[in-house]
Amino acid sequence: MVDASLSRPPVRGALVETAARVRLRRTLELTGRVLSDPTTVIGLVIIVLMLAMALLAPVITTPNVPDPYQMPRDWGAVRKPPLTEGHLLGTTNNGGDVLYGVIWGARTSLYLSLLVVSITVVVGTIIGSIAGFLGGRFDNILMRIVDVFLSIPELIFALAIAAVLGPSFANIVLALAVTFWVKYARIMRAQIMRVKQNDYVDAARVIGDSKLRIYFKDILPNSITPVMVQATTDMGHVVLVGATLAFIGLSEAGIAEWGVLVSEGQAGISSGRWWASTFPGLMVFLWALAFNLVGDGLRDALDPRTEGR
Amino acid sequence: MQIRDYILRRLMVLPLLIIGTSIIVFVLTRVGGSPIGIYLSHEMGPEQVQQIRERFHLDDPLPVQYYYWAKGVLSGDFGWSGVSAAPVTAVFPSKLAATMELAIASGIVAVVLGIWMGTIAGARRNKWPDHVIRVVSIAGASLPLFWFAIVLLIVFWVHLGWFPIGRSDPVIFDSIAHPTGFYTIDALIALSPRAFWDAIWHLILPAIALGYGATAIVARMMRSSLVEELQEDYVEAARAKGLPERLVLKRHARRNALIPTVTVIGLTFGFLLQGTVVAEIIFRWPGLGRWMADAVLRGDQATIMAYVMFASILFLFVNLVVDVVYAYLDRRVVLGE
Amino acid sequence: MLTNLEESVAVVRAPDVIASVRDLKIHFSGKRGMVHAVDGISFDIRDGETLGLVGETGCGKSVTARSFLRLVQTPPGVYAGGSITFRPRRVCDDCGGVGCRECDGTGRVAAHCPACGGKGCRTCSGTGEETVDLLSIPDAQMRALRGNRIAMIFQDPGKALNPGLTVRDQIAEVFLQHRTAEILAAAGVSPDDVLLRRQASQKSRAFEKMLLAVPPLRSGRNRIDAALDTMVADALAQTQIPNPRKVMERYPHELSGGMRQRVMIAQALACNPDLLIADEPTTALDVTVQARILELIRELQQRHKTAVLYISHDLSLVRRVCDRVMVMYAGRIAETATSPQLFRRPTHPYTRGLLGALPGRGAHRGRLAAIDGTVPELVNPPAACRFVGRCPDEVAACSRTDPPMVEIEPEHAAACFVHAPPVKAPASRPVRTP
Repeated sequence: MVDASLSRPPVRGALVETAARVRLRRTLELTGRVLSDPTTVIGLVIIVLMLAMALLAPVITTPNVPDPYQMPRDWGAVRKPPLTEGHLLGTTNNGGDVLYGVIWGARTSLYLSLLVVSITVVVGTIIGSIAGFLGGRFDNILMRIVDVFLSIPELIFALAIAAVLGPSFANIVLALAVTFWVKYARIMRAQIMRVKQNDYVDAARVIGDSKLRIYFKDILPNSITPVMVQATTDMGHVVLVGATLAFIGLSEAGIAEWGVLVSEGQAGISSGRWWASTFPGLMVFLWALAFNLVGDGLRDALDPRTEGR
Repeated sequence: MQIRDYILRRLMVLPLLIIGTSIIVFVLTRVGGSPIGIYLSHEMGPEQVQQIRERFHLDDPLPVQYYYWAKGVLSGDFGWSGVSAAPVTAVFPSKLAATMELAIASGIVAVVLGIWMGTIAGARRNKWPDHVIRVVSIAGASLPLFWFAIVLLIVFWVHLGWFPIGRSDPVIFDSIAHPTGFYTIDALIALSPRAFWDAIWHLILPAIALGYGATAIVARMMRSSLVEELQEDYVEAARAKGLPERLVLKRHARRNALIPTVTVIGLTFGFLLQGTVVAEIIFRWPGLGRWMADAVLRGDQATIMAYVMFASILFLFVNLVVDVVYAYLDRRVVLGE
Repeated sequence: MLTNLEESVAVVRAPDVIASVRDLKIHFSGKRGMVHAVDGISFDIRDGETLGLVGETGCGKSVTARSFLRLVQTPPGVYAGGSITFRPRRVCDDCGGVGCRECDGTGRVAAHCPACGGKGCRTCSGTGEETVDLLSIPDAQMRALRGNRIAMIFQDPGKALNPGLTVRDQIAEVFLQHRTAEILAAAGVSPDDVLLRRQASQKSRAFEKMLLAVPPLRSGRNRIDAALDTMVADALAQTQIPNPRKVMERYPHELSGGMRQRVMIAQALACNPDLLIADEPTTALDVTVQARILELIRELQQRHKTAVLYISHDLSLVRRVCDRVMVMYAGRIAETATSPQLFRRPTHPYTRGLLGALPGRGAHRGRLAAIDGTVPELVNPPAACRFVGRCPDEVAACSRTDPPMVEIEPEHAAACFVHAPPVKAPASRPVRTP
């Protein structure tokens, strides 16, 4: 018996609609799974608090003039321990209020992570997509470049780049962007290679969709999830590496950045002034931890196989 | 493919990767500016500056500069280290020994502790030891080394005074010869227990600081691969034979779980290597990492190039070794895929 | 639910029963409630018979099989009720396990009940034989039975053999675990040598192994290894593996699927078990190899008179190898009969559906009959026949209560209100034909 459906032209509307509905259902399920893990929720809460702190920084503190991202210098209150009147977390060698640094540091870190992650995700996704979608020589060259990038530990690579660019916060952003895009290119390429082989891509090709349409309609939505998971984790990782570079001394001195503050406070620890390093460093830890927890939660929720690991 | 052929093929690709790395780093460093700053001093006149420019081929086009650099490297000349005021090759060996001693000590801590913790967590999945180890290892992946090291110093050096800072006590250092540059080994060679304890004493804090993150990586991998192995059919089959749980875990599951864990050790090594930069700054450890940090801050390109080359060669080599060990351990692996 | 049939069968024909399952319930805690994977089943396995357990994926047959070795993971599994009594045999005194007239060539004889010394008491239901409840004995006792008195062959030998150990090491484990005395005797080592005895029962810790690698002690260890080599080679030779000494040094991935399954069988039969559980032993194999493996199991089973519980989803295969067949559906037994009976006179609509689904039977050529609908979810199931909704012959009673097992002819019973109606008498004891 001849199957009647074969003689009918395929209905695109039906195909697309089911795909969209499946996606919606999956998203809802995913949200449920993510929120059912207490550690992920803890991570989310920390992130929300951090974001609130970053966004409300000008409200909860008096911004330093002219540049609020510079630490204030109150020469009348130098090296005060925590719980001093007006300086809850104490002050630095230069009379900078540690609490001010902690709060504005969140804003700096938010800038840093958003900039680096958005640049690298876009660049990496585009390059990885082209390589995976076109294949051939371009793909080959790209993969060799990726290999070279991956043959140096990332901090050392970023360090070398930042070194040449000169010490400034903007250059840290640039150095991290140059180092981190490779990961996304690789993930995206592998995803595309995988997704390309699915039947629905063939189906789209059969009904005569253009390559670009296939890419945006069928391939990209189905391969972007691992990139998003990586991006979530990297929101924390970028701050960790960025603060490390700043700690080593690749940022301008005196700005409200956690790594810089730890570095400046380091000199005082042998004289017992522990607070100037401890609090800003703790913030880096919490920031990275929160995004790690959420990234992990996302990955576990997306891959049911890893449940409970 | 035979393991031997595989190694040969990988060894042939290795130089290409190293050359590629050197080109990228060289270009990037030169794009940032001329390396001349480190060689200048205030007393020099324009003529002397011009002399230096010519001596270091700084007026030539970039490919020619790279050619001179590569030619020098091949003949054993890595240039003049501005921060050390000596040729790179002269200061490199002693710093290398210092860094390797630290990295290896933390590596041992990480592998032994990580595998142990991962095994406990995986075998007692979702019980309290697992939860504790999970928290410890998640924290390890997010812990800024520069902060953790400082906290350790504040607690154990400043407040408790249990551990010293630096690499050795100067008096004890002078009391024995240092043929290898590894102070622990030197002390063993000199049969000096005092020097040995001193070396270990100085090593403990930086090794813990540096090793914690790597321990977390290894423990996590070990746990997840053990959990995966424990769900395999052959584990059930081993129980069906009447084996006690101790043997099911040790002989069957753990042995196979170690295989994927080996692969992260390569990754861990890169982690340790980059960590030495920070750890050496904080613990005043006279190794390559601190040298690199100094060079970075002063734009000493010859030193940066030498360090990056060293790091990438070592990293690539360790990864090659790991791949080969992996292929040897897991006989199911089809090489070259 | 203890059925009348099972009791009656035991009395009428009274062949030795090696294991009895009574009202076994195994549940799994899932996200949406308790999954009743096995929900009150009862049956006997007789000495030396091959009993087929047939059903679809997820009907509870593998869980049933694993419960004999208590291998169901708890949690999430729960042994919610019932018992599995088992009568372990011991090695025949007259022949030492080789097989003689005394033990009917099996090498095994009944073990006396420790409570009454063989006279017959309540513990052993009057049989005088040692009887244990597999679900309540301590772990150590269970481990002593696993691989020794009850062994199991797994579905996929490629997965059930450890990829990192040689064939020899994997089979030797069984001997080391259960046959220490034999190994020591074969190696000519005194059982009083603590170090070597621990080595021959794989209790040695790392430092003992180091000690045993030192020359004076090494010879003893080497003798044990040589004795083990012989035992392993003999076990492999039984399964007609050519060149066993060479094969045993291989890793599983170096062998073909058929060879791996032979290794699995050799490992399972190494200790001459009383009960062999074969969980779809040929499903993962090529069709050409399947037949030979089946023959091998059959042949070894007949030689050793081992009872076999044969799990399969393939009715035509079960027909070839099994003396009796049980059809399982959604955690319950739907029908039980001897093989010929089942195929001659399938009674439960589910069995009929299964047989109808076999190609070349009843239905027209070129069209495969399938049973409509899907297997019900087993989360907190209601008291009703599990086949409701898919059954073509459904009546009102089917969705009100569970149908009991009712005997249709000797050895043949089904749980169906329509085709095996229960006798209405208050005693409800089914008529027994002599």
